[in-house]
Amino acid sequence: MIVLDNVRKWYGTTPVLNGCSARIAAGETTVICGPSGSGKSTLLRCINALESIQQGSISVDGVEVTAPKTDLCALRARVGMVFQSFELFPHLSVIENLALAQIKVLRRARTAARDRALALLDRVGLAAHAEKYPLQLSGGQQQRVAIARALAMDPRYMLFDEPTSALDPEMVGEVLAVMRQLAMDGMTMVIVTHEMEFARQVAHRMIFMDQGQITADCGKQAFFDPAQQSERIRAFLGGMAQRRITP
Amino acid sequence: MNYDWSWRFLFGPSLTGEGSYVVMLMHGFGWTILISLTAWLIALAFGIALGVARTLPRGVLRRFATLYVHLFRNTPLLVQLFLWYFVLPEWLPKAWGDTLKSMNLVLNQVLTVLLCLSLYTAAKVAEHVRAGIASLPAGQYRAAQALGFGVIASYRHVVLPQAFRIALPPLTSELMNVFKNSAVAMTIGLMELTGTSRQVSEFSGHPFEAFAFATLGYMLIALVAARVMRVIEARSRISGATQT
Amino acid sequence: MSYAFDWSSIPRAWPFLADGMAVTAVLLAVGMTLGIAFGTVLAVVRIYAPRPIALLAAGYVNFFRSVPLILTIFWVFFLVPPLLRTVTANPYLSASPIWSALAAFVLAEAAYYCEIVRAGIGSVGPGQMRATQALGLSRIQALRYVIVPQALRNMAPSLANQTVSLLKDTPLVYVVSLTDFLGAAAAIGNRDGRIVELYVFAAVVYLALCSLGTWLADLLQARSRRRMAAQ
Repeated sequence: MIVLDNVRKWYGTTPVLNGCSARIAAGETTVICGPSGSGKSTLLRCINALESIQQGSISVDGVEVTAPKTDLCALRARVGMVFQSFELFPHLSVIENLALAQIKVLRRARTAARDRALALLDRVGLAAHAEKYPLQLSGGQQQRVAIARALAMDPRYMLFDEPTSALDPEMVGEVLAVMRQLAMDGMTMVIVTHEMEFARQVAHRMIFMDQGQITADCGKQAFFDPAQQSERIRAFLGGMAQRRITP
Repeated sequence: MNYDWSWRFLFGPSLTGEGSYVVMLMHGFGWTILISLTAWLIALAFGIALGVARTLPRGVLRRFATLYVHLFRNTPLLVQLFLWYFVLPEWLPKAWGDTLKSMNLVLNQVLTVLLCLSLYTAAKVAEHVRAGIASLPAGQYRAAQALGFGVIASYRHVVLPQAFRIALPPLTSELMNVFKNSAVAMTIGLMELTGTSRQVSEFSGHPFEAFAFATLGYMLIALVAARVMRVIEARSRISGATQT
Repeated sequence: MSYAFDWSSIPRAWPFLADGMAVTAVLLAVGMTLGIAFGTVLAVVRIYAPRPIALLAAGYVNFFRSVPLILTIFWVFFLVPPLLRTVTANPYLSASPIWSALAAFVLAEAAYYCEIVRAGIGSVGPGQMRATQALGLSRIQALRYVIVPQALRNMAPSLANQTVSLLKDTPLVYVVSLTDFLGAAAAIGNRDGRIVELYVFAAVVYLALCSLGTWLADLLQARSRRRMAAQ
């Protein structure tokens, strides 16, 4: 379980996280949405300590992320992360991208790491591209490799930071399909995304953020039910729908 | 280490009879500044012309500038200095060579160093100017032409003002290089700051104080040069352009 | 041109010139390898170390970048022998000028290489560091396997250019009477009264070597530009 308790963060004097609290249970798929600049990505990065917080606490499976004694490398190996801009290592082949951290962090044998990598590439439909370099692949393929790279660490949790925002529209589907499969397999996922249709299909929980605060945290039925929505969420979803129609 | 560290010797009379050691060092400092700044101004003017020539469409000017920059960037400064100082008088017509050899020694050294340092630095300046021009979007030159500017006017009013701003940071470090490079003058006997400190170290038996004096001198120069260039950069910044 | 050339000194002096070239080669090789190694350490310290230590490294770099190499050579030349005598407690020990010259080149060139490596590391986007962290790699592992390999490719042209500059600086050992290639040529020229031929010959040799280096740098530059275009 991931527990956020009254998390606060400032950039200089500008508040970015304004007392966020939430619990994310194992097996759940949680979608975080909200207008840009609301602090969604920052909150996500705080979960695996890529960003520090100034107040409050975050724990993953009971381990305090912010405690000075916490072994961050071990924690991060347990929490996989997928970035908006993929961040594959361009100087390494696809299979080396998947194997590097397995060998160096988990201390797996080279052959075991390669076997695991190949199995995962097969799962995301890219086994044929194992020896290619990231920049030879399309954006959608790169993001699927990035997902496989995170999965190679056998994480308990997966964090997705706007995984489809940098993709051409025709490639969004293939990435979402991989994520949908993951959700069905019972992976615990926290996803920051603007893909509301996808959220409607796979999310168990919806978290809505606005100006650094969590203003809604509920099941997806309640979230998408016009009768129960706040004015703010209705306006946001309306804007999202608008964006979908206009080319 | 048993070293008798003392600054006081600086003010004692020098063995050369030119007053105190500190006066000698200050003379050296003066020479460094004089030859460096003069060489810089010549190099700037000549280097800009060369840099522009390298961006012109194919032709004699462009070929000359390319060859020049290649030759002067790919030989050691010290070798160039020796060529100017020892080889040139032999190559010139005999009468000219003899005039050079019978010239006042210091004047001969200063002129040689100025020639050498300006021509060497001009090649460096040309590269920075050329790179600055090359990094501009080609549309800028075309837009100037579309407005009816000729080649010269396009460069003068549109291309160069922007290219300079891009080339300012590398030109700043080039300016500092001139001061440092001027130290080679000591190898043909011109007593600028480094040469003087070497001389003082030998005469006085206080090498570390002498070198420390010279080091502080160069650091002061670097500090002032950086400050001046920063002011120029700030003054010339284009409003609304992102800082890089 | 009234000058009558006589090139016959050069083949006769070949072994002596080759010895000089060996000194130049040692200065270049040691200055480059140790300079890059030390420069990389300085760059990593400047970027990742706690502020006071980073500032110390920055001070080092700025110091050596504002002082002429000749002056650095003098400093080391006069500082090293008494230092060695103190350390070894042997009052008769003396160090050959080659050691002083090598030390001066490594100390000064490291400052220049440091700035190149720093720019190279800066050219690798911050997202890459974040990605290594998200995978649980330690900072040292991230640098070693992800950041530095990419930075090295980006800065290869600048490293080649800096090494050409280093080669152009090697004749400065003239000031401590160390006989490198230029020194050897000058000595032969003075002995045989053939200064003109020997200096011209030296200039042509340096021009050939530096042109080779510049050509290599341009090649690397073109390759990295092609790689950028592929992205």
